[in-house]
Amino acid sequence: MNLFGVMDISASALQAERVRAEVVAANMANAETTRTADGGPYRRQHVVFQEAGGDGFAASLLGSGGSGSAGLGDADDAMLPAASRLASGMGSAAAPGGVEVAGVVADQSAPLERYDPQHPDAGPDGYVAYPDIEPLTEMVDLMGATRSYGMNATAVQAEKNMVMSSLEILK
Amino acid sequence: MQVTTATSDALEKYLDLASDQMKLTAENMANIDTPGYKTQGFSFERELSQALDASASTQTAVDVASVDGLTSRPDGNNVSMDREGMQLAKAQLEFRAGIALLKSENSRVMNAIHADSK
Repeated sequence: MNLFGVMDISASALQAERVRAEVVAANMANAETTRTADGGPYRRQHVVFQEAGGDGFAASLLGSGGSGSAGLGDADDAMLPAASRLASGMGSAAAPGGVEVAGVVADQSAPLERYDPQHPDAGPDGYVAYPDIEPLTEMVDLMGATRSYGMNATAVQAEKNMVMSSLEILK
Repeated sequence: MQVTTATSDALEKYLDLASDQMKLTAENMANIDTPGYKTQGFSFERELSQALDASASTQTAVDVASVDGLTSRPDGNNVSMDREGMQLAKAQLEFRAGIALLKSENSRVMNAIHADSK
């Protein structure tokens, strides 16, 4: 009866949702950024979730324990803001059965063009490339991340209560 | 000398299943935003009767399968927050009930041990 392993699963979800919220924050902060280190405008970041690996959940229930996938995939380093550096600092091997961030991927669609020949970043045709970030989409994503975070935090509370109540047998 | 009773063995199996249920619910909750993930579940009653029928030494695997009757969202995920919340509450209560029963079983054994001094 390994109850502490359960908390690892919920903890992986808390970490993943936090990364998602940080990516949303980076997107909203850089909604008007026209220049980045590699020259173009900021590109919207997406977080990709996947189920943390191992031999599948049934095997880990028996205690044979999956190996747990190694950390995160690598997106193009030049394009990544601070959020993805935070994500890779999370550490490898998420709990089997939990969730992990497979990668933080930059959006490849065309940037938004606005006509402003006076702008220092205007191209030869007078158009400035802006990131195509919709505040509403980002806010809805943030609400989803908050809701999921809260739910998994409730699960951690429940798991903690179970462990504490099992200690009462000793009394 | 045997201090465990048949009841406490059965309760141990019950508690194991309740904690497995908890683990599965935690996994479903963790993957609520994972594209393509399907809710996993098992039948608590069936597993419990199997565990109680089997002899003490054999440890059969819990039969985990995809749950039917859940609607999928556009990204392929079919985890329902409400269902998982209910499962969480149920697993917690089942666990606490098992603990309370185990405690009373232990205190019965202790009373029997201390019977002479009464």
